[in-house]
Order: sequence, then structure tokens, then C-alpha cells
Amino acid sequence: MDSMVFDTSQSPIIYDSAKRGHPAIEELRQIFHYRYLIAQLVRRDVLIRYKRSVLGIAWTLLNPLGMMVVLTLAFSQIFRFGEIKSYPSYVLSGLLAWTFFSQVTTAAMVNLVWGGGILHRIYLPRTSFALAATGTGLVNIALSTIPLLLILIVTGVPLSLNLLWMPLPILLLACFSLGVGLMLSTLAVFFPDVSEMYQIVLTAWMYLTPIIYPEEILPETIRFLITTFNPVHYFVKLYRVSVYYGRVPSPSEFLIPTGVALVFLIVGWFVFTKKADEFAYRI
Amino acid sequence: MNLLTESETPPHYSISSKDIIRLENASVRYRVPSERIGTFKEYIIRLLQGRVKHKTFLALSDVNFGVRRGEVFGLIGQNGAGKSTLLKLVARVLQPSSGRVQVAGKVAPLLETGAGFHAELTGRENVYLNGAMLGFTHQEMAKKFKDIVDFAELWDFIDAPMRTYSSGMWARLGFAVATDVDADILIVDEILSVGDDAFQRKSSERIEAFRQKGVTILLVSHNMSLVKQICQRAAWLDQGKLMDVGSVDIVVDRYLQSVRDKENRRLMEEQVETVDRRWGSKKIEITQVRIYDELKQPQHIFYTGQSLILEMNYLAHETVDSPVFGIAIHRQDGLHLTGPNTAFSGMNLGKISGSGKMIYTVPHLPFLPGKYYISVAAVKNDDTEIYDYHDRLYPIQIDNENRGIFEKYGLITLQGEWQHER
Repeated sequence: MDSMVFDTSQSPIIYDSAKRGHPAIEELRQIFHYRYLIAQLVRRDVLIRYKRSVLGIAWTLLNPLGMMVVLTLAFSQIFRFGEIKSYPSYVLSGLLAWTFFSQVTTAAMVNLVWGGGILHRIYLPRTSFALAATGTGLVNIALSTIPLLLILIVTGVPLSLNLLWMPLPILLLACFSLGVGLMLSTLAVFFPDVSEMYQIVLTAWMYLTPIIYPEEILPETIRFLITTFNPVHYFVKLYRVSVYYGRVPSPSEFLIPTGVALVFLIVGWFVFTKKADEFAYRI
Repeated sequence: MNLLTESETPPHYSISSKDIIRLENASVRYRVPSERIGTFKEYIIRLLQGRVKHKTFLALSDVNFGVRRGEVFGLIGQNGAGKSTLLKLVARVLQPSSGRVQVAGKVAPLLETGAGFHAELTGRENVYLNGAMLGFTHQEMAKKFKDIVDFAELWDFIDAPMRTYSSGMWARLGFAVATDVDADILIVDEILSVGDDAFQRKSSERIEAFRQKGVTILLVSHNMSLVKQICQRAAWLDQGKLMDVGSVDIVVDRYLQSVRDKENRRLMEEQVETVDRRWGSKKIEITQVRIYDELKQPQHIFYTGQSLILEMNYLAHETVDSPVFGIAIHRQDGLHLTGPNTAFSGMNLGKISGSGKMIYTVPHLPFLPGKYYISVAAVKNDDTEIYDYHDRLYPIQIDNENRGIFEKYGLITLQGEWQHER
């Protein structure tokens, strides 16, 4: 059959299933086309989170502060180390990075599994949900910079120009979290138990990451294992280098997380887009 | 470029150059686990044991047809025929597993009563969000915003969270957003039933306005008179296969005929099952009962006014003097409608033995649509002995769909005539 016979005089063929490129590339193209949708989804997530509370968006600032106060009261007496000049600043910086990771990965998965019903009806780029989750995380961590700076000043941590490095670790952490979020979403579509299980994994993972304790208190072998094989550690460390330690990251402190973030993002993107066509009848 | 003439391709599979949607050998295979594997752990164990089995389910199989620009095109078929799968292919929600789908225009699916709305957001925020899901930018939505709210008649509530909306308001806003689009193709999936009567009228008017603007409409419906009324052409799907495509009247008639045939077969099989509804001394045995239409074709589905012929073969095991044969017709709920027999008709059969056949002819069935059961019996002439009784063993159906018979009140038609004098 002559497939050129097709009326394109009034509007060009805007969809041809035979001319789709590689799913991973096609998805990128569609995401660009639907960028306004992602902005709207981020807006929605930020708006609805605190919509019913009186203080509203102020909770984005108050939440980490409250956590920080609790943890400081609980642990500052236990961890007495010369290394830690200001435990509140140390724990808050770690907490912000960790919260970003855990929220983005959880939201990417939950938004797709619970909100993905729309995919039965209309076409949306399937990565929209994970991208919107990452965008929401970025808004939150950007807002949290205000209480962070406040605590740094109050507890006497010297502010240096090296604070300007801060966007870099956040960006890398965002790539890494998006990659993990995409892999988790794919798994969660096929295995509903994954999202419950992940909450337990997150709790364990947090305690295996030097967030509330300094890595120096760990025994040598465990410290080696955690600082080498726990990918989140690299990002938390890099974030702290700029905001807490106020110095320029060393090449390895910068290059390793960059590599880790890219590998996770690319693998996550390919795995997700390879399976995404099945989502419409699996969710 | 068009080297094929219409006559070289089979008439109802022809693909025209005016197509706006085209499917070429389009198939959709769903891959589903043959057993449900609930947990990840179980999956890993089974994967290592090599016990993960998938079965594929063919939702659409080698479908070929085109939809022409500007027509209203109906998709018909029973549940599970693949209609929704086909819509999803056109809406890009699903990819064909093999074959090709081409769409030459922007597709707007008519969303189910505001799918994608968020209860905590205001109506206004949701309009923009829903617009974004349909692929519109903020500026484009800003231009449409007034019309959308006008149509939904929701100006008083547009800045209130949608959780405060009634379900009717929710549906109205959903319909208003979904249809305020400059699309070339509108997908309507059996949802012209939101809101109150006034809003339904408004909705149908809007669909009609789309049609007049030259928007191609792809409609799925089980309402055959609606399909005949608004579609020009239709495709009939059955178990994922395209059975027919072409002018709506022909396709719908063929479809209805096949539904009737299927029902006929089901009724025929049904009558074999009931054994304990037969009794009698069997001095005369009714060995076979057959029901025909006026053309002597075995039939179980009739229309009001059609002829029915019932034949019963009997075998008298001994000589019986003047037996009475009769039938009874009950409505499905047990209402006894009629009970003619040979005695009422003044017929004396005399002494009978061996085999023979009784034939009862109904010139015009008076019953209105529904399901009816026929009983047959042979009894002694003074009613003191039942030779053989088949209690409601033979179902028939009266179905006037597509027959141009509109009477519907009560049980029967009197087949009377009206005259007007002045």
C-alpha cells in the first residue's frame, strides 16, 4: 500500500507511530514540548502542600528548623567532637540535602502510581511526574536556604564566598534523585509493594549516611564502606563543603558525585522510557 | 502518487487520501503475567527459578482503516471488542505493538468529568493545569479562560477550591475545559451524559458546533440510534478484529444482526439445560420442538408482528383417544400471557398412535420487546392425566431494534389503526 497517500494539505502529520525515535530521545523531545505542563505540576505541588495550613509556605522554612532543634537537643550532648564547630548548622545542612533526596524519590514514585490514571486518557510525557517532583524539591530546598543562612549566622559559622558553590551540589543531587526516582517509579508500577518497602529502606539509608552524626565517629572499616558505597554521602558531603565548611571542593569531591549523578540519571532515564509504553495499561 | 484505484482494494477496507487518521495493520498486544506476582521478592525468586511467565493478550489485531477529515465516525462493538484500545492508539496513550498509526491533526480527548483536577486547587488553577495537560501554554489558556468559565457557568465559584464543588459543577468545568480546544480531532468515549438536562443539551450543541466547524469526531457508543443519527461512517470491532467498516447504516445493521445471531445461539443452547421442568406419563412423548419464522428458518428472536411457527414431533407409545395438544407463553417474570390448545380450537384428533407432528402457526406475534418462554404439553382430553409437559423450556425474544416499530407501552400491540375525521 502506498503510504504516501495521506492528506497533509490542511495540517501536517503530527503523529506517526512508525516514525518514533528511540524512546529515551523521544521522551526528551516531548518533555521540551510539554515544559509548561511541568511548571504547572510543580506549581500545583508547591501550592497544595500547605494550602490548608494557616502559615502556608512558611512551613517549608519551619519544618527543617524544627527538625534541627529536636535533633540538636537530642544529639548535641552525645557527639562532642572538635570537628563540629556548630552542630545545628551541621545537622541542618545534612538534613536539607537528605530531605531533598527522600522527598523527590518518594514523590516521583507516588505521583506516578497514584496520579498516573490520567495516562489512560490522554498523552503526557511519562517522565512529567518525576520531573515535577524534582522541580518541587528544588523549590523547597531553595526556600530552605533562608533558614539555613540564618542558623549559620546565629551559630557563628563564618560565611564565605564559597557559599556560591551551593547550586552545584544541589543540581547534582537533583540529577541523582531524578535517576533513582525514575528507577523506583518503574519498579513501583510493576510491584505495588515497592513504595511501602522504600519507606523502610529510606529510614535505614538515612542512618547509614552521616547526616546527624559526623562521619569521624564511625569505626574505620564501616566508615570506608559508607563513604565509598553510599552514593548519597557524596552529595551530602559536597553540599556541606560549600555551605558548612565554606571551602572550594577538591577535584575528587566534585568529580565523583558528578559521575555518580550522570550514571544514575542516564540509566534511570533509559530504564523508565523503555518500560513507559506499558504504563498505560499497568497503572 | 496514488497508483491504486479504489476498486483494487476491497471496498470496505479502502484507505482514502482524505484520511486524517489512518491505521495500517495496527495490533496491540498486552503483556500480562499469567499469574499475579504481588511482591518484588517473589518476582526475584521466580525470576531465578525461571518461572516468570507472561501471556500476551491481543487487544487489537491487524486493523486497517482510515477516518476522513471532517466526518463523524462511530466505533461500535460489544464490551471488550477493542474500541477503547483503538481510541488510545489515536490519542497516543498506547503504542501499536506492530503496524502503524498516523494522525494528521491535533487530537483532543474528551476527558471523563474532569480527570486530572485536584480538589485542593481552585477552579481557576485547575483550568490552567488541565489546559497544560492538554498541551496548552499559560498564554493560550488565558485567552480561553473567559469562554470556559462562561460555558461552565461557574463565575461565582471559580476561585474556590474544587473540593467545595458539587459533582455537577465538577463535570461542567471538566467538559468546558476539554471542549474549548482548537483540535482537529475530538474523541468522545460514551460520556455525553454529564450534568443535568440543560447542560446535556448544551453539550450536544457544542459537539454539533464542532462538527460544523469541520472537526473530525471519533465516537464510541453503545447507543445504536445515536450512532446512526450522528455518524456518517462506522467501524465494527469484535474481539480486536475489524469486522466491517463503511457507511453507518450498513455497518450498524450488520452488527445488530450478528448480535441477534449470537443471542439466538445462546437461546438455543439454553433450552437444553433444564431437565427437571419436564414431567408426564409419557404415553405420548413430545420428542422435539422447533420454532421457525415465516421463512421456515429456525429462529429465536422475533419482532412484534412477525409470524411464528411452532412444530412439535410426538411419539405415542400406545394408542390414545383424542389427546389435547397445547402451548403456553409466559413472560420472563412468570406472567401467563396465553394458552391455546387443540380443544379450544374445536379440534378432535381421534385415536392416535406412533409418531406425528403438531404445527401451531401464529400469524402475527402481538408481544412487545422482552423475553418470553414457551411451554408445550400433551394431556388427556378430560385434563386428568398429563402425558408430557415441557414447562417453559423454549425461550424466545422479541427485539424491535432497528425494525421501525416504536410501540412500547404495556405488554402487547393491538395492531390497530388510527383514523382522523373532522
